[in-house]
Amino acid sequence: MNTHISPLARVGQYALLAVYVVFLAFPLLWLVSASFKSSRELMSLDISLLPKEFHPDNYVIAWNQQGLVGSAWNSLIVAVCSMVLVIALSLPAAYAFARFRGWLRTAGTGWILVSQVFPVILIIIPLFLILRDAGLVNTLPGLILVYTTYTMPFALWMLQGFAAGIPIELEEAAAVDGASRLRTLTKVIFPLLLPGIAATAMFAFVSAWNEFFFALVLMQTPENYTLPIALKMFIGGEGKVALGPLAAGAVLATIPSIVFFSIMQRKLVSGMLAGSVKG
Amino acid sequence: MKTTKLAAALLAATVGLGLAACGGAPAQNPGGDTTASGPVSITFQSLSDQPGAIAATKEIVEAWNTANPNIKVETIQAGWDGVYDKLTTQFSGKSAPDVIHYEAASILPFAADGYLRDLSKDISPDAKAEISDGVWDSVTYDGQIIGVPTEMQTYVVFANKKMLTDAGVTIPTGDSMTWEQFTQIAQQATKGDAKGLGWGLKSPTATMMALGPINGATFFSGEGDKVDISVGEPEIALPKAIKGLADAGTLDKTSLTQSGGDVLKGFYAGKYAMTVQGSYQAANIAKDAPDGFEWVELPPLQGTKGTGQAANPQTLSVNIDSKHGAEAAKFVAFFTEPDNMAKLNTADALIPASKTAREKILKDTGGKDGWDMTLKSGESLTSAPYLKANSYAQWKDTVATPSFQKYLTGEIDDAGLKSALESGWKR
Repeated sequence: MNTHISPLARVGQYALLAVYVVFLAFPLLWLVSASFKSSRELMSLDISLLPKEFHPDNYVIAWNQQGLVGSAWNSLIVAVCSMVLVIALSLPAAYAFARFRGWLRTAGTGWILVSQVFPVILIIIPLFLILRDAGLVNTLPGLILVYTTYTMPFALWMLQGFAAGIPIELEEAAAVDGASRLRTLTKVIFPLLLPGIAATAMFAFVSAWNEFFFALVLMQTPENYTLPIALKMFIGGEGKVALGPLAAGAVLATIPSIVFFSIMQRKLVSGMLAGSVKG
Repeated sequence: MKTTKLAAALLAATVGLGLAACGGAPAQNPGGDTTASGPVSITFQSLSDQPGAIAATKEIVEAWNTANPNIKVETIQAGWDGVYDKLTTQFSGKSAPDVIHYEAASILPFAADGYLRDLSKDISPDAKAEISDGVWDSVTYDGQIIGVPTEMQTYVVFANKKMLTDAGVTIPTGDSMTWEQFTQIAQQATKGDAKGLGWGLKSPTATMMALGPINGATFFSGEGDKVDISVGEPEIALPKAIKGLADAGTLDKTSLTQSGGDVLKGFYAGKYAMTVQGSYQAANIAKDAPDGFEWVELPPLQGTKGTGQAANPQTLSVNIDSKHGAEAAKFVAFFTEPDNMAKLNTADALIPASKTAREKILKDTGGKDGWDMTLKSGESLTSAPYLKANSYAQWKDTVATPSFQKYLTGEIDDAGLKSALESGWKR
């Protein structure tokens, strides 16, 4: 097969890619630009991508006014803990789902699908009562428990798909080579599942990082608010919105997510390579 | 090996962070201190969102705590977004704060469910006399006062002074401005691409309900689940007048689909000579208008029945399950004293429910930045029958808003609007 690409086509490819990247990144660029604009400029019809006057005060207001640092720390705790718990709990279950057949698997699949159809508003009051009786309302562990429970069915579904994609012949080959069941799982299956684990971890992290409603209802004092709640505080009653500080707060809120994704992205790629070599 | 290390590190991090979370997250104590001998604690969920209002709230609470060492008030700062769902859950779980800041339209369903203390006996005659009967009516359910009104807003007309002067308009300055005057000014100021009026009616129902009473609109009669709707000439008068301005070309039709804030951008840019907005926008206009932009707030709009708009005040209520209901009511009485209300409303750019507080703000501001007209528009607020209707919120979103939008865009006529609003309520 001829894989040679002419220099002109290569330039075209990069140009298209650049346009696509700019298109995807535009909302973020606009957000960053808005975060440096004064409220007067934000309320002007004379729109420009770059701020006419550099206005860093929005960051100072966002930082000081709604306790963003404490909220970011709370968000990080609940997102990381939920992510790890979701992976730890759903990984063995996903493998079992992928490899074993029977009524339990059918029932489990049904449970996963049914759990996805309930709107949160329907479960929030019983959930609140259970957590209140357990002394977990207005606590981060309570929120972690809720996020883990709520995210796990879909995470399990995702991971099960990745596990099912690993050929059973690899396990048989390892067995023929004398590997124990545990060794096969840790040395053959786990590395091949790594891209799936990374993708599921990203999903679990982002779900918890962005979640608003559970946090709104369960967290009752400002010191326990997560980032989405703190950001919503910039939107007031009677239609009042502090646009500049809200944009600045949103920029600050995206930074941990971007850092986390860049780390996990590498893991995703290295996991794929590891799988291809061993497979 | 690497993957095993990574998994171990993540699990260790989870345990560590989980422990940190446990350490940093105290469990809630909804009832506060219940010991008979020691001081009692009251939780006050505040929705103040402006930095000045948050500071004013803090100042008032500190003054209370200093003067009342045996009744300690702890402020819980919350946001407006989603607070209805939050309160629903908290009331169901019997863990709502002792003192609740909200608004009349949203607090009445909680009163209907029996979650709020009747404050009738906690309010002194002097304090009662400070607030007009129409406003008290907005917070009265089944004969019980379920919230003390604190802050209010009205719909007022802001004008670009230069555009009006250039159009040869004499800017009205009296106690009110008739709809005919308003229409006349809008026509005179419409020149070239510039329109006389921009009116953000993306969510028109609130405006129709609040401003409708100037033409005698009531829409609803009854209370709770026994509420009837009637859409006649007075109810159709305001949407009809607005549509008339749009059809005549003096009101920019595109503005009808925008929010109030979006229309302000066009107002600053000289696209519209006037705009109808919530009175609180005066503070934003003073802050955000371009240098040299001369603006003025016109007198309150007067319809066929006067200037009285429907009041939907912000309120302070007391949780019926509060272990210290009497103390919480005392705190509400203190918080709503005229001096405190003047301080809070000045910071929030809203109208105090209390007459003395309005007088104080007028004296302190000298009527600058539209305060004279804003305060004038708050004097004649009247009762709001829609607040008493249990299913109002659902009707507003699913029936009224799309029906008013269809009417303003000419998709349905007067009879169609009447039919849609009435049949949608009875459904």
